[in-house]
Amino acid sequence: MRILLLGFGTVGQGFAKLISEAGLELLGSYGIRPRIVAVADRGGAAVNLRGLDVEKLLQTKRKAGTVAAYPDHGKPGVSGLKLVEEVPGEVVVEVTPTNIRDGEPGLSHIMAALKAGKHVVTANKGPMALAFQALMELAEYNRVTLRFSGCVGGGTPILDFAGKCLVGDRITSIKGILNGTTNYILTRMTDAKLSFDEALKEAQALGYAEADPAMDVDGWDSACKLVILANWVLERKVRLEDVEVKGIRNITPEEIEDALKRKSHVKLIAYADQDTLRVSPELIPLGHPLCVSGVLNAVCFTSQYAGEETVVGKGAGGAETASAILRDLINIKQAASR
Amino acid sequence: MRLVMKFGGSSIASREGFKQACAIVEGHRKKGDLVAVVVSALGDTTDRLVEACDKAAGGDRKSVEAFLNSLQAEHMETCSWIAEEDARRKAEEAISAMIGELKEVLMGVAYIAEITPRVRDYVLSFGERLSAPLFKAALESEGLKSEWFTGKDAGIVTDSNFGNAKPLVELTLHQVKLRVGKPYSEGVIPVVSGFIGADQKGRITTLGRGGSDLTASLLGAALDADEVWLWTDVNGIMTADPKVEPSAKTISQLSYQEAMEMTFFGAKGIHPKAVEVAMDRGLPLRVKNTFNPEGPHTLITREAGVKTGFTAKAVSLIREVALITVGGAGLAGAPEVAAELFQILSEKRTNILMISQGSSEANISFAVSRDPVDELVSLLEMRLLGGKTVRQIDVEEDVCIVALVGAGMKGTPGIAARVFKAVAAEGVNIRMIAQGSSELNISFVVKREDGPKAVKALHREFKLGESS
Ligand SMILES: NC(=O)c1ccc[n+]([C@@H]2O[C@H](COP(=O)([O-])OP(=O)(O)OC[C@H]3O[C@@H](n4cnc5c(N)ncnc54)[C@H](OP(=O)(O)O)[C@@H]3O)[C@@H](O)[C@H]2O)c1
Repeated sequence: MRILLLGFGTVGQGFAKLISEAGLELLGSYGIRPRIVAVADRGGAAVNLRGLDVEKLLQTKRKAGTVAAYPDHGKPGVSGLKLVEEVPGEVVVEVTPTNIRDGEPGLSHIMAALKAGKHVVTANKGPMALAFQALMELAEYNRVTLRFSGCVGGGTPILDFAGKCLVGDRITSIKGILNGTTNYILTRMTDAKLSFDEALKEAQALGYAEADPAMDVDGWDSACKLVILANWVLERKVRLEDVEVKGIRNITPEEIEDALKRKSHVKLIAYADQDTLRVSPELIPLGHPLCVSGVLNAVCFTSQYAGEETVVGKGAGGAETASAILRDLINIKQAASR
Repeated sequence: MRLVMKFGGSSIASREGFKQACAIVEGHRKKGDLVAVVVSALGDTTDRLVEACDKAAGGDRKSVEAFLNSLQAEHMETCSWIAEEDARRKAEEAISAMIGELKEVLMGVAYIAEITPRVRDYVLSFGERLSAPLFKAALESEGLKSEWFTGKDAGIVTDSNFGNAKPLVELTLHQVKLRVGKPYSEGVIPVVSGFIGADQKGRITTLGRGGSDLTASLLGAALDADEVWLWTDVNGIMTADPKVEPSAKTISQLSYQEAMEMTFFGAKGIHPKAVEVAMDRGLPLRVKNTFNPEGPHTLITREAGVKTGFTAKAVSLIREVALITVGGAGLAGAPEVAAELFQILSEKRTNILMISQGSSEANISFAVSRDPVDELVSLLEMRLLGGKTVRQIDVEEDVCIVALVGAGMKGTPGIAARVFKAVAAEGVNIRMIAQGSSELNISFVVKREDGPKAVKALHREFKLGESS
């Protein structure tokens, strides 16, 4: 299986490590012999049709800051889009940064890959939240698979749970905590009586929150994941702009205290059913399955027959997300060799 | 209101029509509505482009040249109505440049004396590509802001089935919103060429007959329009063809399903896919008359608006029909023959309008549009005749289909009986009958000369002239 890897940051590198470590087992258990034939970052690309050496890639990236410095096969200035269009391969793994304004560069990468008849695995929420239906249609038209498990829940198989474990049932609503950073902040505001700013600083110091925390604390990261869930699980044709979004920036210690008096915690809750699509802080009673703390994510699916099922997990992280990408790859291989 | 307006070729063929169309858009825009416009080719330009393709493919450069000259003259004539000089000059330049491009293509075709479906679509796209800049210039001349797009530039993506391409709807909506949404929301009037799109590799495709309606629906859905208005040269959709039944009236309300049934039977009307796109999103469609904008018109929504006592809404007559009967006693219990028959029909991409099998199983009859019937029949003869099962293949070309449509027929017993009685009273013999399982229509085949009589009889029996 020839893989084109677009984006070589936390997730991209984690994925490269994972497949090189899992090499033999992948071949033995799944018949997958993965080769990364092209990698792109902002500095350019490295291409070798016979496969790039993962150790060398990581080393080059660490030392030179870009994969374009890869000995003999480095291509400074060559874009990811060009790779997708010109380098032969079966699967494109798209892990460039999430951009919720126009989805780029991921959206163009994914569209070009599907048009070129390549399968796509992505952890990039932007393109999925802005153009879910368009991308799925394009994949179907070109008879390739587009998978995106890593977009929601990182390593926690939230999408697979809804898609596979509840097969035959009808999920009527989704409610959950889809963002670990905000959950950490709210947890610290509750447990350690910190103010929002103090808790945010702490989260940043620990590497849970970005320097620009807007995506997380203003609710957009949760909203992206909710849109993906609503399209995939509830079969609604919705986009990011259809979500009512309210973040946690204005949550005061008083509100947290009030909640405690009512034996509840304030949580940033994403909710979707056939009519509603909303992200906003809500009170969740102590002991409720969604009342998880720290960076944990939790999603509760309400279905017609099985009732309420809740999935809890770590939600993000480079290695965890890389494992979700690998799951998707294995799924694609299994579907192709059936 | 957020509106999308489509003007058909007949609406803008004449000077009056063209001006009227611009005046309609202007009136709504100045009232504060947002308007996006979809234009067809002027008059019968598309038919003539088809002809030019054939002439070019036959190597006939003289005719092609003559055609191009008249095409240029007509569009320049339309240009000359545009009052404001700057707008007019720009339109003239755009037209000259495009006719120049078209000339190169057609001469190239004439040179190699061969045309592929892809090149044909490219040639056909010129009708709408010429009318859009004209319309834009006319609006600008009235002091309105406008911008024109080809279907491809607007973001309409289709499969690569040249000549009758299907849009990738979701991808199209995404792209149209991205490209046309901003000017539209800012009050600029986007003018989009109807009927054309491009496949995912950017090669120009056409959407088939009535494709401009589909362009309009797609635009409406992408731009979150409140309504899509399809402007024609008649007062909306009528209860029957007024040339056949002078007392025919405008149908004021139709459901999407009813409209689909009518388009399937070729009733003068809307592209079925246009209705489907609108139905998926509950986007209301109105069919209006450019020359009588305040007059009666048809609204198409989820509601059928059935009034008690009025079960049917329209009766249509499809003339260009042939009835083919494949017969032979051995047909019973020989399902492989039916399989082979359908195989042939699908290979030839035959549009089957109706189908029936006698309960003796000794024959299968089906009605198809008459267009390519000779070829189909000889193919059927080659592949089916001569064995033990199929003894004969008969073709009747002097028939037509009469179709009665209406949501009120669903679950109402006795409709078929009323149909037969009314038609029989006129001495008309029914050759074949079918009722869609949707129960929204009953259709039957009669001799061609009996068609109008049957239409009139049903129009009277179901009080269609009074219902709207
Ligand atoms: N980290 C997680 O826990 C997690 C979990 C779930 C989903 N995700 C999603 O996965 C994606 C990747 O996340 P990450 O944490 O790995 O981000 P990251 O560390 O910032 O890495 C992004 C990578 O993309 C590259 N890149 C940026 N613009 C590019 C362009 N135009 N062409 C080619 N490459 C480009 C960057 O290049 P440089 O190296 O040159 O800067 C970098 O290698 C994001 O969409 C994120 O939302 C992440």
